[in-house]
Amino acid sequence: MIRFEGVHKWFHNLHVLNDINLHVRQGEVVVVCGPSGSGKSTLIRTINQLEPIDKGKLIVDGMDLSDRRTDITKLRAEIGFVFQQFNLYPHLRVLNNITLAPIKIRKLARKEAEEQAMALLERVGLAEKRDAYPAQLSGGQQQRVAIARALAMKPKIMLFDEPTSALDPEMIGEVLAVMQDLAQSGMTMVVVTHEMGFASEVSDRIVFIDEGIILEEAEPSEFFKAPKHERAKQFLKQVLSPMH
Amino acid sequence: MLNYDFDWAIITSGRYFEWLMAGVYTTVQLSVVSIVLAFLLGLIIAVMRMSHVSPIRWFAYAYLEFTRNTPLLVQIFFWYFGSYQVLPRFINEWLVTWNFEFAAAVIALTIYTSAFIAEDIRSGVRSIPREQMEAARSSGFTFLRAMQYIILPQAVRITIPPLINQFLNLTKNSSLAMTIGVAELTYQARQVESYTFKGYEAFTAATIVYLGMSLVIAALVNIYNRKVLATVKGR
Repeated sequence: MIRFEGVHKWFHNLHVLNDINLHVRQGEVVVVCGPSGSGKSTLIRTINQLEPIDKGKLIVDGMDLSDRRTDITKLRAEIGFVFQQFNLYPHLRVLNNITLAPIKIRKLARKEAEEQAMALLERVGLAEKRDAYPAQLSGGQQQRVAIARALAMKPKIMLFDEPTSALDPEMIGEVLAVMQDLAQSGMTMVVVTHEMGFASEVSDRIVFIDEGIILEEAEPSEFFKAPKHERAKQFLKQVLSPMH
Repeated sequence: MLNYDFDWAIITSGRYFEWLMAGVYTTVQLSVVSIVLAFLLGLIIAVMRMSHVSPIRWFAYAYLEFTRNTPLLVQIFFWYFGSYQVLPRFINEWLVTWNFEFAAAVIALTIYTSAFIAEDIRSGVRSIPREQMEAARSSGFTFLRAMQYIILPQAVRITIPPLINQFLNLTKNSSLAMTIGVAELTYQARQVESYTFKGYEAFTAATIVYLGMSLVIAALVNIYNRKVLATVKGR
């Protein structure tokens, strides 16, 4: 579904992605973690070309992102992206946030789009918020709407860029629950997160990245029990018990 | 001692009152038509100014610099006297049957005002977080569609107060149209003065009308800021 082959990226002199090789199969849930500034956000943002790559090959859903002729806009419609800061459209009500792209891009009839949006709102537990504006919702609610918005395009892949990092602790659970439900439905997911509970319970694989290099790639049981790399050990110690 | 007999009756009733009211009507017509066109043109120029295609961006930049940095009066004369030589004959003939003075004034005011509106809209767009564009592009919107459905609706809401100020400026600027013979308020006040020698009364009336229109527009801005903007802000 997603295949990185020797992908490099630079921000000026900074080598943010260094020889990335990664393969995400259909239906897999892959968690990407690493210290801040490690390049994990950049990695996930290259998948829908919010960040273009400089070198190497990146194939997503059979389309070659390194090829200039690839229709990126069309590919993006097949990929849901959930941001750290939700990025809902503040001028639109919740329901319209969800129906906008299906109506304008998928050319769905308004009625059909709204029925689908309501079903999604039920699924994320926010049906009663259909007429609210984003600013009237809590962070956790906004993020669940953002997930519903992404799902409304019936994406083949869902990308999550630190979806719970901007949330108050008591709201993290509600968002993770929606993501877990999604993972169990067989969605292909790449998730950048520090939520190691989610990583160990839900993910099929964990990718540990530091300074733009994938240092470790392992199943969660393996990764948590016996991380091979020294940096990964340190990182785990910090995120699991931040006080020490 | 003032040696002047004030005669307010002359402008509050009868023929001269009608002249002035006709002038008010033309001023409002001229301003409203021009602001609508200027807004549409300003939107287009603003989007062109932000285009990723450099020639389009440069064209918009040149347009803005050129229009904002030349006097409006010169632009009015250009369209009124100059366009005869530039425009194709059939357009000129069509314009003459319509109302060429009015058309030239609308064109000049529209183009002049559109430049200021474009810059207001552009700064409105710049105040929208970059992530809004990213979110829209991630959903599969093209740059132009993202502008249309997500960025501009937000930017325009923020831009409405400066836009209304542009409308205010435009209304006042429309008085320059008298120089090419558009029978708007200032022109009519001048007419009344020529017929009656009551210049003080005539231009006091014109001043009060302009001031009244400005105050009404300013009040609208206040209501908008309190009622509308307060609800859409608060991201």
